[in-house]
Amino acid sequence: MKKIIATLVIALCVVGSAMAQEEIDYARKQAIDSLALEKVRDLSKYIKIVGSKETPFSEANRVIDRAEELFMSDAEIGVSSLGSNKITYYRVRKYFEHLMRLNYDRVEIEWYNIEYVSDLQRQPDGTYVGVITIFQTFRGYDKEGNLAYKDTTKKDITVYVKRKETQIGGRTIGFWDVLLGDMRVKETTNR
Amino acid sequence: MKSKLTTILMVLLAAFITIGGTTSCKSKKRLAREAAEAEYKSRVEQAVKDLNAILDDETLWSLEEKEARVQTIKDWNLQNAEVDDLLFQVEKKLARERAQKEEEERREREEREKANAADAVLGRNFNSIANAASASQANRVINETLGMFESPNTPVLIIIKQNQGFNDYDRPTTIEKYLNYVKDQKKATEKVHQIKYNDSGKINELELIKK
Repeated sequence: MKKIIATLVIALCVVGSAMAQEEIDYARKQAIDSLALEKVRDLSKYIKIVGSKETPFSEANRVIDRAEELFMSDAEIGVSSLGSNKITYYRVRKYFEHLMRLNYDRVEIEWYNIEYVSDLQRQPDGTYVGVITIFQTFRGYDKEGNLAYKDTTKKDITVYVKRKETQIGGRTIGFWDVLLGDMRVKETTNR
Repeated sequence: MKSKLTTILMVLLAAFITIGGTTSCKSKKRLAREAAEAEYKSRVEQAVKDLNAILDDETLWSLEEKEARVQTIKDWNLQNAEVDDLLFQVEKKLARERAQKEEEERREREEREKANAADAVLGRNFNSIANAASASQANRVINETLGMFESPNTPVLIIIKQNQGFNDYDRPTTIEKYLNYVKDQKKATEKVHQIKYNDSGKINELELIKK
C-alpha cells in the first residue's frame, strides 16, 4: 500500500512539473492575447479592401489569399441580412468572393468594439482557445450615392493559438500560430 | 727576540687578512656571476618555452598578451641563437594574426555600418509604404525595397515579446508578404531588430520586433 501511494505521489509530481513547464507567464500571455486581437483587426482591413469597389481585381485576389491564411482550413463565416432570418455560412474564400460581387456601387464596412468575450484558455492539447466579438456596420450605396442598405451585425470569432516550430536559416524558431475559426453571427440590427 | 716574534706575527696576520679578503671578494663575484648565469639560463628556457607555446597555439593568451610577451623577451636581449630564431618565427606569425584581426574588425565595422544604413532605409521605406497616398506609390517603394533582399521569399521573423533572452515570434512570413501587409494595413508597427546578409550583400534574413 505504501508503495502504491509513493508511486502515485511521484507520478503526480512528474505530471505537475510537466504542466508547470508548459504554462506561460502573464507577460507572454498578454503578448499572445494582443497578437490574436491584431489578427482580427487585420481581417477587418482585408474585408474593407475586398469589399471596396475601388480595389482592382488582382489586388483583391491577393488580399483574399492573405485573409485565407488567417483562418483554419475548414473555417466558415456567417452572413446575415435584415430582410431574412436566415444566416448563410460560407467557406472563407467563398465569403470574400461573395463580398466582391455585392450589388452596390459603393460599400463601406467598419468593425468596432473588437474585444475578447472569452479569454484565451489553455486546452489539454496545449492550444489556447478564446472568442473575440466584433461589431460590423455595413453600408451599401447605389449609383446615385444614396444609402441603399445598412445593418450592424455582432459576430463572434473563435481564435486558436498554438505553439509551433519551424526551421529558418538552420535554426529552430518557436512561434505562436494564431488561426481564426468560425465567425458566427450573433445578432443583426438596423442601427 | 720578543719584538721579532711580534713583528712576524703582525706580518702573518696582515698577510692572512689580505689573502682572506681577496678570496672573499673573489667568492662574491663568482656567486654573482653564477646567479646571473642561472637567471640568463632561466630566461632563455622561459623564452623558448613561451615562444614555442605561441608558435604551436598552446596558450590561452589574447593577441595583445602574446605581443606583450614577445616584447618582454626582446627587452631581455638574450642574444641566444635559438631564442632569436623563435622570435623571428613568432613575430611573423603574430603579424599575420594582427593583419587577420584588423581585417575581421574592418569587416565587422563595415557590416555594422551597412546594417545601420539598411536599418534606416528599411524603417523609412516601411513608413513610406504604410503612409503612401496610393497603392501604386506603395508598390513602387515595395519594389525598391525588395531589391535589397536575396529574393521576395526572404524569411521575415517578427518578435512579439522578448522575455529573459527568449523570443516569442509571430508566424514567420516573407519580405514580399510583409511589405504588402504594411501596405494593406497602412501601419508599420515593427522595427528592424537584426539583419543577415548573403555573400552578395543582399539581405537573406530579417528579424523585426514590435515597437
